[in-house]
Amino acid sequence: MALTFTVQAECGMTKARAGLMKLPHCDVRTPVFMPVGTQGTMKGLLPDQLLALDCEIILGNTYHLGNRPGTQVLEKAGGLHKFMGWNKSLLTDSGGFQMVSLLKLAEITEEGVKFKSPYDGSEIMLTPEKSIEIQNCIGADIIMQLDDVVQTTFQDYDRIKEATERTSRWLDRCLKAHKRPEEQSIFPIVQGLLNSELRRKSAEDHMTKNVNGFAIGGLSGGEAKDDFWPMVSLGTEVLDRNRPRYLMGVGLAIDLVVCVALGVDMFDCVFPTRTARFGCALVNKGQLNLRHKKYLTDLNPIDKDCTCSTCKNYTRAYLHCIVSVETVACHLISVHNIAYQMRLMRTMRQNIINGTFVQFVKTFMKEVYPDLNYPNWIINSLQSVGINILD
Amino acid sequence: MRFIIKNSSTGCERVGMLTEFLKMTSAVIETPTATLLTQGGSVVHLTAEVLSKVCPNPHLLWVPLSNSVHLEHGLKAQGEGIAKFAGLQNYFTCVTLQNMNETTPSGHFENDRVPLWTKHGKKMLTADRYMDLMEVFKPDIILAIADGRTSLAEGSKRILKSIERTGNMLDLCVKRYKESKELQSSCLVVILGGVAISGLTDGSEEFSMDHLQPLGEIFKRVGDAIPKELLHVVEGCWNPAVILTAVECGWDLFDGSYAVKLTNLGQALTLNFDVTNDIDNPYLLDLIDECYKDQFVPILDGCECLACKKHTRAYIRHLLNTREMLASVLLSIHNLYHFDQMFYHARQHIVSNTFNVYKAHIIKQYESYKNVQKSESTDSDNQTPQIKKSRVNKEVSDTYTNSNYST
Ligand SMILES: [Zn+2]
Ligand SMILES: [Zn+2]
Repeated sequence: MALTFTVQAECGMTKARAGLMKLPHCDVRTPVFMPVGTQGTMKGLLPDQLLALDCEIILGNTYHLGNRPGTQVLEKAGGLHKFMGWNKSLLTDSGGFQMVSLLKLAEITEEGVKFKSPYDGSEIMLTPEKSIEIQNCIGADIIMQLDDVVQTTFQDYDRIKEATERTSRWLDRCLKAHKRPEEQSIFPIVQGLLNSELRRKSAEDHMTKNVNGFAIGGLSGGEAKDDFWPMVSLGTEVLDRNRPRYLMGVGLAIDLVVCVALGVDMFDCVFPTRTARFGCALVNKGQLNLRHKKYLTDLNPIDKDCTCSTCKNYTRAYLHCIVSVETVACHLISVHNIAYQMRLMRTMRQNIINGTFVQFVKTFMKEVYPDLNYPNWIINSLQSVGINILD
Repeated sequence: MRFIIKNSSTGCERVGMLTEFLKMTSAVIETPTATLLTQGGSVVHLTAEVLSKVCPNPHLLWVPLSNSVHLEHGLKAQGEGIAKFAGLQNYFTCVTLQNMNETTPSGHFENDRVPLWTKHGKKMLTADRYMDLMEVFKPDIILAIADGRTSLAEGSKRILKSIERTGNMLDLCVKRYKESKELQSSCLVVILGGVAISGLTDGSEEFSMDHLQPLGEIFKRVGDAIPKELLHVVEGCWNPAVILTAVECGWDLFDGSYAVKLTNLGQALTLNFDVTNDIDNPYLLDLIDECYKDQFVPILDGCECLACKKHTRAYIRHLLNTREMLASVLLSIHNLYHFDQMFYHARQHIVSNTFNVYKAHIIKQYESYKNVQKSESTDSDNQTPQIKKSRVNKEVSDTYTNSNYST
């Protein structure tokens, strides 16, 4: 089996669950956050460092890897795992999102995504079959269907409907083109943007397919939080409980806590490593911008409760001195930020297993909003799964 | 800190050890050796976590003020010196003025002050200010302030002036050193614990075979002129051929900036240390080159470094091609380890009285590399990799373009 998922514990009150996802390369404990290593590397960290951070699964980007090093090299290397020296699990996206977001000239037709190569200007067509062909070559444990991506805040109903239905048609083509079903699982992507009727239809369509897990896509694209969470909730309501649910592109701590309560198992986001490059370190209260002058003589670690190698060895004062000057600063903050995400997910998992998840959510929210001035979307989303944080 | 000579052979080359450091009396650093170059107090490209895997044994860190003087406020607040502040409390430090693999502008000297070239521009330092900084940095070894940025091509007027100024500033340094309670745990090199050569380079030169002879003469004469029992330090971004020439004249400590320079050019040093094996060795690999894109072998076969044990030339080449930071991390790991190995083998050969064979073996590899370079192009070392880089970045894989796929 390319994937087996077992629900080990459920919250009882909310939709949160702790699971074990067995993949060809390793077991992954959920809920899980997957750091993004776009080009077959995690921002200057050695694979050994990721292991030390307790990472069990990371992401690669099909579009980038298809360009460099390219499928010929990856094929000769025996896949991305071997190429980058990473023996744990991998997930790759379909490449479609990158093309639409990076390349203004992308044109989507029934056949696929047509775009101009940023390298030599030639026209290239990424079809569902081509996407799977590349992902089969990369060899990630979990791969994504090519979906028809529309900007989240887009309003035209006809276009959204077309994209949603096309995503279902492309799923069939992806599944048909898949050459390694014993080693790799294709996840369909639930589309429909902010239209609940279309989104429900999309999820129901995917439910009928022989797949090992599902992704919820088309969110986290600048929409209002009040519009965001009901779509997540609708997704986890329709998608069955025996297969993992992956919410794409979400990684802020507060969103992770809410969405785990809503029943999501997997997340990914470039934010923790991207923000590290700009000198921002994650803490429960948000983030510390270590470039700020106030850290000039601050001899505390980033977070005194963090056990990462950065917090053990370095002060904020030192990080302030080298941030945005030395590459080492970027590595150090990336280590802390990934450690922060991993610790948050492990803590949630442990609380779900212990039956204390509701209490955890309340305590966490109080720490983030000490003045108890909660945004409405947090009150409402948590209310929807039975947690009243105003209690 | 004490310097003890353990073995000397029939020539001037010797194996020694640095020991009795105040903060860790049992630690021993064998010489000849190179320090690890730091920037902002950190070993270039490596966090403390990674460094501890690469160099678990005691090492000296080379801390140029040019890239670390801005740490002063934090250091003062913490009060425990640069090694601790930079998260490297198990390592020893040697503080000096300039990073030897950076070229500095010429001139700008005043009678009692020398320029420090930092990212934020020029700062003029007096000997007093320099020693103030030493009280804050608390290094294990202080290299006395010197007017030392003179190139091999410098005129004699400039050189005489630099000698006079360096002498005057040294007097002030020694005076401050003797008076300061703070500095008693540090060792002032040039007077009390050893002698350093500075002023052979302003960082701009690319050293070639032609330089070996004149440099060798300087190493020999200065080496002969100073007491044998003192630690001999020489600063400069020297290649292995120059370094081994200096070792032969009894020089003990080098700044190791050459390994960093190679890393920053995307190159890996690949010397063959086995004098009984005359295989045709590449000396170094320019890993940005397209020819490595599908070589799934380590940088150097048999190398025990972390990078070679786990990663391939093809992967590092991919990381260089995509400008990913891990390229510099892996190249640093290999180059530092390999540089260290070069000194390890040098010490072995000194002990067994075969250093001249080893030196000839390494210089031969350097020579044939330089000859190949000469015949390939007349460009300087510094330009070649950049030209190659721009070429490689235009390259596209055939993943999308070659495909005839259509539905
Ligand atoms: Zn930390
Ligand atoms: Zn190596």
